[in-house]
Amino acid sequence: MIKFENVSKIYQGNFIALENIDLLVGNGEFVSVVGQSGAGKSTLLKMISAEEQPTEGRVYFNDRPLDTIKKKHLPYFRRNIGTVFQDFKLLPQKTVFENVAYALEAAGETDEQIAEKVPEILDIVGMSDKMEKYPHQLSGGEKQKISLARALVHNPLVILADEPSGNLDPISTWEIIQLLLKINSLGTTVVLATHNKDTVDKIAKRVITMEAGRITRDEVKGKYVI
Amino acid sequence: MKWLKIVRTFKEGCVNFYRNGWLSFATVSMLAISLYIISVTATLGFTANLVIASLQDKINVSVYFNSGVSEERIVEIKNKLAQYDEIKSVDYVSKEKALEELIDLSGGTDTINKALEEIGENPLLSSIVIRANDPEQYGKIVESIGNSFFKDDISVINYEENKSVIDRLTNMILMLRKSGLIFGLVFVFVSVLITFNAIRITMYSHRQEFEVMRLVGASNLYIRMPFVFEGVLYGLVAGAVVMIFLFATSYFISPLTDGNIPQGNLLDVYFGNFFIILGGLFTGGILLGVISSFIAIKRYLKV
Repeated sequence: MIKFENVSKIYQGNFIALENIDLLVGNGEFVSVVGQSGAGKSTLLKMISAEEQPTEGRVYFNDRPLDTIKKKHLPYFRRNIGTVFQDFKLLPQKTVFENVAYALEAAGETDEQIAEKVPEILDIVGMSDKMEKYPHQLSGGEKQKISLARALVHNPLVILADEPSGNLDPISTWEIIQLLLKINSLGTTVVLATHNKDTVDKIAKRVITMEAGRITRDEVKGKYVI
Repeated sequence: MKWLKIVRTFKEGCVNFYRNGWLSFATVSMLAISLYIISVTATLGFTANLVIASLQDKINVSVYFNSGVSEERIVEIKNKLAQYDEIKSVDYVSKEKALEELIDLSGGTDTINKALEEIGENPLLSSIVIRANDPEQYGKIVESIGNSFFKDDISVINYEENKSVIDRLTNMILMLRKSGLIFGLVFVFVSVLITFNAIRITMYSHRQEFEVMRLVGASNLYIRMPFVFEGVLYGLVAGAVVMIFLFATSYFISPLTDGNIPQGNLLDVYFGNFFIILGGLFTGGILLGVISSFIAIKRYLKV
C-alpha cells in the first residue's frame, strides 16, 4: 500500500535527510521505525502524508505516485491518512468534541454523522467524559488520546504516529501503544516512529531501523537494536 | 455541501471572534482607530473644501462704466462676457442699486443723504461684477477686457488694487488643497498599515493551527473562510464603534461650526448623512479587515 522507490531527500545546504530508501509497507501492517533523532524518521513519515516531496525517487500510496497529486487535491488525499504527533497539535481554542469533529466538518460530513461518530470514537479511546473540556485542561496522555481519536475519526487507511509517546509517562505511553495495536487489529495500517526501546520490544512486530538517512535493518519480528 | 461549509466556517469565525476575546478587542481597536482617523481626515477635507469654495466666491472683479453708457449697452456687454469659458458669472449692478448698497452699508445715516443732496445727482457708476471659475484667470480676463470692443466705455477696473489680495488668496487655496491631500494620504496609508499589522499578529498567533487543520484534511479555503468572516466581524464592530465616536466628536465640535457651513453645523451633517457614513464605515472596515486577513493568512497556507 505504501511504496518508496529509491527515495532521497536533500535539504538546502546539502543536508541529506533520506538516502536511497526502498521500502514496502503492506495493507494492515504495523511498522515501527526506530533510530536516533535526526536519523530521518520524521522525514520518512512526512513523505507518506505528502508534506514533503522527495528530491529523487518516488513515493506511492495504493499505486498512486504522490508527486502527481495536484496541490488542491492534497486535502482529499490526506483524508486517507490519520496523523498523530509528539506535541499533540490540538487546536487550543476548541473543545475536545470540536477538535475531533473538525476533520469531519472539513470533509463536509453532515451534522448528524458528526454527532454520531465523534462520541463513538471518543468512547473507543476512553475519553467520552471529557468532551466539553479544552486541551489545556487535559494531561499529556489525555491529549494524545484525543489526537489519536481525531486521526481515527474519518476511518483512515493509515495511521502515521510520529513519536506519539515522546512527551508521555510510561503508563500513558503503553495506553497509546495498546490503542494503536487495537486499531491495527481492526485492519488499519500503522506506521510508528519512535526511539522508545521498551515500546518497540513489547510490540514485537516489524521494525525498520534507520541511521543517517538510510535503512540499516528491516526485521519482521524485530527488536530495537542500535 | 457548499452551503453547509459556508455556514460552518461562518459559525467558526464567530466562535473564534468570541473565544479570542482580547485579541479581537485589540484588533477591533486598531481598526477603529484607523477608520476614525480616515473619517476625521475626510471630514476636515470636506469642511476645508467648503471654506475654500466660499472664499473663492468672495473674490471678484468689478468693471465700472463711464456715466454716459446706456443700460442696453451694458447688458449687451454682460451677455457677451457671460459666454467666456473662464467666467463663472457676470452680474450687472446699476448705479441706483450701487447707491442702495452704499446706503445699506453705511447703516442708513444721514451723512450720505446730505452729501447726495449737495451733489444733486447719483455720482456712482454702473458696473458689472465678474467671477471667474479659477482665481488664477482674473489677470487674463482683465487683459482681454482691456483690449475689447467696449474698452472705451470702461471707466475703471478694480483689478489692480485687488490683485495682491487675489494672489494671496489663490496661493493659500492651492497650498491648503495640496497639504490637505498629502496629509490625508499619509493618514490613510498609516491607518491601513496599522490595521494590516494588527491582523497579521492575529494570524501569527494562529499559525500552528493552520498546519494542524491542513493535516487533518481541511482545504486551504476551508481554513481561510473563518478568518475572512472574522475580518468581516472586525469591520462591522469597528464601524459601529467609530460611528459612536464620530457622534461624540461632532457633538463637541458642533458649536464651533454653527453657521460656518451651509448645512448648519457638524451634528446636522452627521445626522443628515447618517446612513451614508455608516455604510461607508462598514464598507471600509470590512474591506480593510477582509483584505488584511486574506493577505496575512496567505503565507501560512503553503504546502
